[in-house]
Amino acid sequence: MRSKQANLLQGTLDLLVLKALGPGELHGLGISRRIEQITRGTFLVKPGSLFPALHRMEEAGWLTSLWGESENNRRAKYYRLTKTGKRQFELETEQWATVALAMTNALRAT
Amino acid sequence: MKLWSRVRSVWQNLLRKRQVERQLDDEVRVYVDLIADERIAAGMSASEARRTVLAEFGGIEQVKQAARDHRAGVGLVSFWQDARFGLRQLWRSPGFTLAAVAALALGIGANTAIFSVVNAVLLKPLTYPDADRMVNFLRPSSVIANNLHNVPEFHFFQRQTNIFKQVVAFDSAGPGFNLTGGRPEQVHGIHVTEGYFSLYGAHVVLGRTFTHEEDSPHGGKAAVLSYGLWQRKFGGDRSIVGKSLSLGNEPYTIVGVIGKDFVADVQADVWLPFQFDPASTDMNHFFYVTGLLQAGVTVAQANVQLLAAGSAYHREYPRTNQAEQFTVGPLRDSIIGDARNSLLTMLGAVGLVLLIACANVANLLLVRATVRRREFAIRSALGAGRARIVRQLLTESVLLSFGGGILGMVLGVLGMRALLAVSPAGLPRIGEDGSAIGMDGRVLGFTLGVSMLTGILFGLFPALSASRSDLNSSLKESGNRSGAGLRQSKARSLLVVTEISLALVLLIGAALLIRTFIALHAVGPGFVAHNVLTMEMSLNGERYQTTAGLTQLLQDGRARLNALPGVAVAAAGYWLPIDVGDDTGFQIVGRPVDKDCCVSKWMSITPGYMSLFRIPVLRGRDFTEDDSADAPAVALINEAFARQFWPNEDPIGQHFRRGKIVTVVGIVADFHSSGLAKPADPMIIAPIPQVRDGTTAAYSNIQPLFWLERTRDDPRLSIAAITEQLRLASAGFPVAHIRTMDEVMGRSTARQSFNMLLLTVFGAVALLLAAIGIYGLMAYSVAQRTQEIGIRMALGADRATIRKLVVWQGMRLALVGVAAGIAASFGLTRLLSTFLFGVKPWDPAVFVSTPLILTAIAFLAVWLPAARASKVDPMQALRAE
Repeated sequence: MRSKQANLLQGTLDLLVLKALGPGELHGLGISRRIEQITRGTFLVKPGSLFPALHRMEEAGWLTSLWGESENNRRAKYYRLTKTGKRQFELETEQWATVALAMTNALRAT
Repeated sequence: MKLWSRVRSVWQNLLRKRQVERQLDDEVRVYVDLIADERIAAGMSASEARRTVLAEFGGIEQVKQAARDHRAGVGLVSFWQDARFGLRQLWRSPGFTLAAVAALALGIGANTAIFSVVNAVLLKPLTYPDADRMVNFLRPSSVIANNLHNVPEFHFFQRQTNIFKQVVAFDSAGPGFNLTGGRPEQVHGIHVTEGYFSLYGAHVVLGRTFTHEEDSPHGGKAAVLSYGLWQRKFGGDRSIVGKSLSLGNEPYTIVGVIGKDFVADVQADVWLPFQFDPASTDMNHFFYVTGLLQAGVTVAQANVQLLAAGSAYHREYPRTNQAEQFTVGPLRDSIIGDARNSLLTMLGAVGLVLLIACANVANLLLVRATVRRREFAIRSALGAGRARIVRQLLTESVLLSFGGGILGMVLGVLGMRALLAVSPAGLPRIGEDGSAIGMDGRVLGFTLGVSMLTGILFGLFPALSASRSDLNSSLKESGNRSGAGLRQSKARSLLVVTEISLALVLLIGAALLIRTFIALHAVGPGFVAHNVLTMEMSLNGERYQTTAGLTQLLQDGRARLNALPGVAVAAAGYWLPIDVGDDTGFQIVGRPVDKDCCVSKWMSITPGYMSLFRIPVLRGRDFTEDDSADAPAVALINEAFARQFWPNEDPIGQHFRRGKIVTVVGIVADFHSSGLAKPADPMIIAPIPQVRDGTTAAYSNIQPLFWLERTRDDPRLSIAAITEQLRLASAGFPVAHIRTMDEVMGRSTARQSFNMLLLTVFGAVALLLAAIGIYGLMAYSVAQRTQEIGIRMALGADRATIRKLVVWQGMRLALVGVAAGIAASFGLTRLLSTFLFGVKPWDPAVFVSTPLILTAIAFLAVWLPAARASKVDPMQALRAE
């Protein structure tokens, strides 16, 4: 499992967080679990990367936060996409598609 | 939206810091708790669950710090933290702080002082409207290097309208004017031509400047007042224009007043028009000429065209020296003159002082970094990255250097004032006793910049080396006795070696200038200055346009002065023997006429001048009262003249032609008539009663008469009586610039003594800093090695061996530094060679004695810690661990 974990590509973490928050609000651990799930365990986001990213994105105005109750009655900080965040997600998705296509083509080229 | 959210975040982060911190705390804790909850649910024990989660988490504090680092405004917050923490740290070790700030204040202060002079002299722009197109007319090929011109030349320059838009003339020192009516006072007045005020951008507050008619022959007597004189003498009377001003008992009409802010290179209280005659063929050089280049003409182009035009001038005036060329140079250059070199050299020297101070503080910081290794280890354990630690250390060093900078600024400005008071620098553009030197934006910026730069310079290296330390071993070590690493002690040794070599360079420079100063003072000027009083009188008015009138004043004045009980002998003359500024052409009778052959210095005196200055008459006779206007024309010459023009003949009784035939009646010993550093020039000395009326009239406009008295006691005691008698003799003329000849001699070497004093102060500071540096290094090393020394002693080393060990360790560094310093000095003292007199740049005495002095002081600085090392009690040293 560990060995399969890929290094987070520079810049992919933001996109993954935005994607993870697409359906609705989540707390830190929730985001980390969701990313693990949607990448089928390829990406394990450690708190050392996660929290700085969340704070940075909140400062940038892509996320807002609110305090709420967790499943087992703990007070946790939940993050939600803002309008700017949604626009940012669309933008980054598009960019990623372009890059991914270009990379794939480049690697297939003979 | 984005901007707004950022502003809000900064606001929150800075002002609601506690709340933001608590939320971060909660957020991270919940993350851990949630995972722990899952593991407990899966059957782990509570403590086991927490432990495994924390282990996987990878350092809660580090994660929190990483999150903090992404916050908006984090730079500001952490800078503030760094600064506060730094201040606390510095406050807690006052000894270190004081030493560092003092060293920096010395270095920065010295730099501020020199820079404030450089700023005033070299950097401040000239205040004239078209200063960059203004040029000075030079006479590079004249025998006596001055840039004085005559009226035909001036008119010739004015005709070159394709080169110059405007050409004006002005005289400089001038004799001054006797402001009569009420209490007599001598004011400083200069003659100018019509365009002077507009070219120099003078602002007229009242009336107007001279018209073309007023600046033409028979244009009447008009005067323009300075703001200062208008306020002082006329109480700022607004109806002053048109009123009369009495100068030398002659009425002048005041036509205007110039504004307060007008600062010309030649300061004046009152301006009068030259009234040059366009048809004049007067070849006397007695004023300066400044021009404004036509737009688009460069100085080089102007010189090419002027050279071509010069031949036309020589055709027009065939009796002039045909080899003479006219050139122009930027006004700025001729104002600054040779001060640039001397100032830049001093700036370089003072830069070395600052480098030494930096090395010293870097050394102190390295020691401190060793002591603080545990602190850094703990900080990095708590999540501080290397960059953050470097930044913290840099913040501390910049704080230190700013402390030093502020103190240094005060020190520098005060120091420069004190220095200029002790030794007037003889520098241009610094105002009366350096009043133009002061704090302005540029000096302030320089000091701040230097402080910042030094802070980074001496802080960066120790900061980098401190932050490199290995976290684990630092924490495990006992901390207080862990010796400095090899790399670090090498670095510190290198710093000390550098300090010593730089200090030696400065000391050798200072020693060379001291020897110059001594050599200058050992030069017999050729006359005895002690107990001689000098004062200047301006001879305005019709009476002194003829030699007869002047002769009468001189006879009456001398009779009155010689009757005073305090006066041993009185005389008068144009020029003091240390500074004779006039030259003349002449032909030797009985030799073929050669127009360009014979030029000599020339001065005129009354009888008594030679005996007053104790200048011996070697052969022949001195002047007497019988050498009157009616008697045959006679002259004295000096030895240099005799050597040059009559090397194989007896000069006594020979004749030369200078207007009329003159007989040489005596040879006087050479005296230094162009300052002590230059050899005596050939000189013709004439008795004033035999001088032509034209020369007397010209002199009354350009040069004050010197009254001289050799007194029996302190010359100062006789001033009141002498000035009173001279006022009576001259019917009310005041005297000005009353100085003893000793003071005059002091001024003539002002620049040299200023340079010497400066470099000596720098050398002393450098020596002190270097001594402190090597002492600090050895004291620290001894403290570090107490245990080792204890062991050595326990194993049988005696105190002398220990002492030798430490002394040798220190002296090895000192000697390497001295060797490097000598090598560097050989290269660098060449830069000083233009300032030296009577000593070679590689003077062996200096190159031997100075290193010896430095070595001796280094030895002293090393001896103290060595003595302490030898007193280590082995039992105590070993137990201390």
